[in-house]
This record gives sequence, C-alpha cells and structure tokens, in this order.
Amino acid sequence: MPQVEYRGMLLMVPDNDSEFGGYFEAAREHRLVVKKCAACGLLRFPPGSGCPWCTSLDWTWQEVRGKGTIYSYEIIAHAIQPGFRDFTPYPVIIVELDEQRGVPTPHDGLRLIANLVDDQFQPEAEANVAIGKRVDVVFQDLSPELSLPQFRLTDEPPAGSVWQFPG
Amino acid sequence: MGRLTDKYCIVGVGETSYSKNSGKTTRAMGAAAICNAMRDAGLGADQVNGVLSYHGGDSTAGPEIAADLGIRPDFYMDCSGGGSSTEALVGLAIGAIEVGMCETVAIFRSMNGYSEVRIGGTGRRAAAPVAGSQLLSRPYGMVSAGQNFAPVFMRHMMEYGTSSAQVAAVKVAHSKHASNNPKAFYRKRYTVDDVLNSRWICKPLHLLDCCVETDNATALIVTSAERAADLRQRPVYVMGVVGRVTKKRGDTFYNDAPITDVAGKYAAERVFGMAGVGPEDVHVTGSYDAFTFTTLLQLEDYGFCRKGEGGDYVSNGIIELGGKRPNNTSGGHLCEGYTHGMSMVIENVRQLRGQADDSCPGWQDGIHTHGYAEGGCRQVREAEISMNLGWANPVTGSALILRR
Repeated sequence: MPQVEYRGMLLMVPDNDSEFGGYFEAAREHRLVVKKCAACGLLRFPPGSGCPWCTSLDWTWQEVRGKGTIYSYEIIAHAIQPGFRDFTPYPVIIVELDEQRGVPTPHDGLRLIANLVDDQFQPEAEANVAIGKRVDVVFQDLSPELSLPQFRLTDEPPAGSVWQFPG
Repeated sequence: MGRLTDKYCIVGVGETSYSKNSGKTTRAMGAAAICNAMRDAGLGADQVNGVLSYHGGDSTAGPEIAADLGIRPDFYMDCSGGGSSTEALVGLAIGAIEVGMCETVAIFRSMNGYSEVRIGGTGRRAAAPVAGSQLLSRPYGMVSAGQNFAPVFMRHMMEYGTSSAQVAAVKVAHSKHASNNPKAFYRKRYTVDDVLNSRWICKPLHLLDCCVETDNATALIVTSAERAADLRQRPVYVMGVVGRVTKKRGDTFYNDAPITDVAGKYAAERVFGMAGVGPEDVHVTGSYDAFTFTTLLQLEDYGFCRKGEGGDYVSNGIIELGGKRPNNTSGGHLCEGYTHGMSMVIENVRQLRGQADDSCPGWQDGIHTHGYAEGGCRQVREAEISMNLGWANPVTGSALILRR
C-alpha cells in the first residue's frame, strides 16, 4: 500500500482503493489518467465507481495529455494545515483538461484540483495566476511509490479571455 | 409538503451562550439547549418523545442527552451532517410525527466548535490519514470550508463582476444586527473598509468575510399544530421545507457547472411550491453565512434577485434592518456565532413571534421600538413569513419557510 508523509499528512492509497489506486499507479509513471466508461465511452474525473452519464459500472483507465486551462483559483494566504505554513502564499487552481471540454453538455469538462507550481515545485507567483491561462501537468515525486500530479504554466497563448482577481 | 403545510409547528427554541471556551462537554451544552427550548415551549420531559441531532463526530448522542433530561425517546436519530441539516431535520421530524413514530421532537446541535473540533481539519481531525477522495484536495493544501468554497466565488466575480466591496456589505449588515443582539459573540459594527482592510485568508476571502467559530448548543422543538395550540408560545407554522437538495456530481464542487449555481437553484421551486408563496412574499431571510459570499449565492439562486445581481442586492440596504427584507437579524454566523445553521432558524422563530431578544425592555411581551440604532431594537415590523436558506456547501442545501 503506497503511503508517504507529506507536509504533516499521512497520504495513503489502500490496496482496495478501486477509485484512486490506478490513478496513483499511473502518476508514479508520470502519466495522468481518467476513467473511461466502457458503455458510453465518456471520460470522467474524479474517477468514481460508476458513470455519471449512463450508470454503467464498467470502465477502463484512459491516459490524457495533461494540458488544460485554469477554470478558477484561489490564493491561500493563511495555511490551515501547519505543514503548509512555509508554502504560503500558494495558489490552488481548478484545471479544466482539454479532453472532452463542453461534452456532453456545454458546461461539462474534466476538472481537477492542483497547485500551480514553478520548476522547483514551489508556488507560482500570484501575479502569474489567472483564469484562462494554459497549464500542463507535472509530477511531484513524494516517494518512489507516490507522485502527486501538479500543474505549471505553459508558453501557449490562452484560447480565450484571461481574468485575474483585482484585489 | 403541500397537504402538510401549516399542520406542524416550531413551538420552542433555546441555546447556550456563544464562547470560544465553553469549559463544558457537548453533552452538558446539548442538554442545556434542549432544556431551554422545553421551558420556552412549556413542555415537560414526559411531553417530548423524539430526539434528532446532527454532528460531525463532534457531539454527544441523543440518548445520553435525553437521559439527562428525563426524556424517554420513542424515536431518535443522530445524523451525520453539518450545515443545512437543521432544515432537513425539521422535515424529518414532521415525517416521524406524521407516520406515528412520536409526537413531539427536540432537534439539537451541540459543538465545541472552537475549543475542541474546528471546521476544516485542525485539532483531532488533522491526525487522520488522507485517503480516497481526500487525496484530490488535501495534499494541495485545500482543506477548510473557505478553501473549498473560495474558487466558486472567484468564478462568480469573473462571470458577473461581483466585487469584494459588494460582498463585504453582508458583514456590514449582519454586524449592525448583531450590535442589537446581546447574545452575539461580536457586537461591534463593521464598515466595508474594515472588511477590505482585514488580512487575507484565501483570496478572494478576507478575515472578516469568514464567520466566527464558537462553542455552543442550539435546539428547537417540532410538534403538530393541534398540540401546539395548548403550549406557551404563539406557534410558528411550517409552510414548506426541503432537505439537503444536491446538484449532480455532488462528489465535488467543481464538476456540475456553472459552479456558480448552488443547490438553491434546485431547492427553490420545490420549497416555494409547497409553501404556496414566492420570494416576494418573504419578510425576513436567514441565510447560511459561513462566509459573506455564501449569503449572496443563496439569495440569488432562491430568486430574491436575478442571477448575477447578488452583489447589488446585498449592498443596497435591502438586507439590513429597516430594509425591505432583512437577512440574519441576529448577526448570523458572521457575528453571533457559528452553529451549523440552527441559530438562524431560532432567530426567525423569534422574529415571527415578535420576540426578538434585543435591548427593548418589553421584548418578551412583543413590545419593540423598531429603532435600529446601535444597541437598540432588532425586531422586524410585521414579520409574517420567514425563510431559511441552509447551506452545506455549494452543491448541497436545504430551505425552510415559516409563518406566524
């Protein structure tokens, strides 16, 4: 069972974790995966046990490119977890992946949470964080067994408008 | 409900004081809150035979508290849940009475919400291993309610142009109300600049956008209109109730988009339909103000203003005492103290009775000055219909419409 101490937390992936086991196995190989419904073919994240679109319980893992757009974010100034105090201020972002955007309804997308980090896995500067900016997955190796998907800014121009909190 | 509208009542309310160091167990506080509600209603222990509670592993079970009060339950449930549980349990209490499981139900929430178990994972919650769906957020330093909800409001600011100053007006209004509530933990009046100049917690939230965690217990008592007729207080009738209405993809706050739509969007039609009234008929609202912006999002999605216009609605005086539809006249979670929602239902019951416990000498007899200056009255004139907007998180909520 992969487990690691990270910033004061004991992260663990139990052997029977049918939702996240395969996700973190892939992350260890620096691959980002989501679940693909074996019946309707739609991708889903988080990797729940059944399909939110057709209720099928049959699925396979599907690798995605890991490129996406910042859908929303926050800048955490006051860490709740003591292990994050030396990480503040840090951005938490919601990434919308490029795959299956606007499918099956215009509002749908594959969205996940991460920190926006720099080359050293330190928090990206607040001035560089904005909704609409392009990002790419990177993997932070916390131990030989457990890696954490994170995101970095890319050089790609944003597809649409960019918005930053004015405060 | 429809056919059950006006057939059930809230007949007693009670609470303990709000503090950051109760020095008591949740058992002692829970018993005190129910005892206060029973005295308020004029009910003896042999007249209460149902007990419902909600908790997050931080309370004492109903049978222990019932034992301390001499109550022998014919029905009890301790439900796992936080915000928006109060309204849901009022509905469940009505159901239990309607099917004949019991006649009169005490609902309580008891929490040492500051001194023992704070929301968000400090204290004993912090020591638990992180596994399962928690791996999607906690390793990224996203754990507290504010951290979990803030990206929803950030997106609202982008989509609708809502400003920090507009949402700060919620704190301004609720602090005015709290200044006329002797029970409130914070009775100081705040300005928009006070909010904007307070330190950042997680942008876009300032310290004063966040509620005040406290130790407290709260309780209310539900029974049938027939039984209510003989009791001490003027009954407050349940017109409509919905419990823990949830958006699709309720496993996260960011998959059922637009994420700026909250559960109230789905709850509104059902609860107003039951009650046979609309937002324009409501005289006083009680929104779940864990944060300033949760009030704004709920008022929009229940239709008190159009979607995206919440910033204007909360900052133009409507929600203040003396305004068209005051919100959280006790000061709410932002100022009176954080209770996981029960206190705003208690406040609305008092408003509908005409018994807001303010600084007016005759408040117990319903005599109020309606002068809302600091340290004065907080009774809304001719409050006949109230509505509570319960919030668990952006995707789950409850609602309760009451009348006098």
